[in-house]
Amino acid sequence: MGVNLGDLLTKEKCSLKDLSGKIIAIDAYNALYQFLSIIRQRDGTPLMDSQGRITSHLSGLLYRTANLVESGIMPVYVFDGAPHPLKAKTLAERKEIREEAEKEWKEALEKGDIETARKKAQQASRITDEILQQSKKLLDLLGIPWVQAPSEGEAQASYMARKGDVYAVASQDADSLLFGAPVLVRNLTISGRRKLPNKQVYIKIEPELVKLEETLKNLGVTREQLVDMAILIGTDFNEGVEGIGPKKSYDLIKKYGNIENALEAIGKHDAIDENTLKTVREIFLEPEVTDDYKLEWHPPDEKEVIAMLCDEHQFSKDRVMTALQKFQRMKNMFGQSRLF
Amino acid sequence: MFQAKIKADILKKMIDIVSPLVNEVKINVTPAGMSLRAVDPAHVAMVDLSIGASAFEEYKADETEIGIDLDKLASVMKLASSGDTVEMELDDVSNRLIIRIGNLTRKIGLIDTTGMTEPKVPNLNLPAKITVKASELLQGVKASESISDHIALTATEDAFELFAEGDTDTVNLKLPKDLLIELNAPEKCRSLFSVEYLSSMIKPVKGDQPLTIYLGNDNPIKLEFDFADKNARAIYLLAPRIESE
Repeated sequence: MGVNLGDLLTKEKCSLKDLSGKIIAIDAYNALYQFLSIIRQRDGTPLMDSQGRITSHLSGLLYRTANLVESGIMPVYVFDGAPHPLKAKTLAERKEIREEAEKEWKEALEKGDIETARKKAQQASRITDEILQQSKKLLDLLGIPWVQAPSEGEAQASYMARKGDVYAVASQDADSLLFGAPVLVRNLTISGRRKLPNKQVYIKIEPELVKLEETLKNLGVTREQLVDMAILIGTDFNEGVEGIGPKKSYDLIKKYGNIENALEAIGKHDAIDENTLKTVREIFLEPEVTDDYKLEWHPPDEKEVIAMLCDEHQFSKDRVMTALQKFQRMKNMFGQSRLF
Repeated sequence: MFQAKIKADILKKMIDIVSPLVNEVKINVTPAGMSLRAVDPAHVAMVDLSIGASAFEEYKADETEIGIDLDKLASVMKLASSGDTVEMELDDVSNRLIIRIGNLTRKIGLIDTTGMTEPKVPNLNLPAKITVKASELLQGVKASESISDHIALTATEDAFELFAEGDTDTVNLKLPKDLLIELNAPEKCRSLFSVEYLSSMIKPVKGDQPLTIYLGNDNPIKLEFDFADKNARAIYLLAPRIESE
């Protein structure tokens, strides 16, 4: 998912406390996908209510948002709109991987291979319309704002960050930097412990910041050149050039200035066609965004949250109440308007 | 170049005024004095502060910018007693602000000011002007703190009023025109504000000092007061709370 810029980013560790008082735009698809893939039972079965309906996303949204709010962070979730036509291929590939994984998950379950089952189940995670509707409904009941992006959610979130309406964009992948977000926060929506893939080892996960300006300064490139690097490596919107990873792409752009010159120099001038290049650059540098959003926080509607989570989906009432109490930390922002 | 001597109390006051809203600030330095304008991260409140060269005991400066973490400045200023004079000097080469209090020298590493933009003052429609002793208003705000998280401020032709309502209790502070230094309200104005923000903005004003309030209808509030013998001025803007249904 997203471009792989590897070690080229300038990262700094931070804690939730450092982000206190700040508004952060969370890439909702990215967060939901994490909740769906991580919040599962040992054999990979997602959390479900008594009717077998998946509830991993609701659990993640409630408890993680409560923790962020308790740390003084003001979250706003940004949902993807219609995908750009160039993303169709990526999406089709992801679907294929999911379907394959789902098959393998069931096979592994039958064989009793719990380890493989869990891995495959995670890969099979998928965000359905129902999951989206429920997530938006829960956010409304929690009094947390969400924004519907016209197209890419990360583009919209980055636009809000560029305008100064939010401090940073929270996502696991680095696309928001290409979209011009001044600050990217990673590891914000996952809990403090994460299991290493394929191993029974847990590592402590801490949020980290990537600042665009610093990354560009350290690499000695412009944002336009960073976008060119990404296009060479491959993005959600184009395939990239075979054999070119983060390191090589950096060397090429650094040496030749842009994609056209770089491809010419290595004798692959038709590796990326002119139209695709132009369109992908436009997607990142002049994305479709909207000013139609309001950042307002309201007290959670406790009765309705309990009706939705406890009555409908059998969440523990005590745990939900404990989480809801954390939202009181924001009471200063309830109904509070902003200067601009 | 920036080299100055100032009473510790004035510098402490500056920290008290700004730090409830932001920690990292960009101070604009000119030959005429120092100024800063900043908003809190949630864009709810703004502070605009200027300290004229005449507030300093000595002041020599070219135009420059100083990006500073106020927590660091506050920690060194805690060591200064009332009446102490503080020397400040900008070291362009190492990009540090040198603070001298008596025999103590603290060098504070400065923060990069690129990307720290100056917030624009929003357009405001604030017909009412009220000047009141800070202590009078603070009393009403403090009384409200324990019962509600927001208060209503109302100005009419003949009085300025504060009202807070909790689940069971209420607080009302009514100041008729003759108890106010100035009241000019051509129409009734009423807006709602967060108690916590308002209280942190009134606290830095000393007891009997006059505080001027500009009020509108569901509009931000503007608070204005002088300090350092009128050689310095602070202006706060605070966005209103929206009345819940």
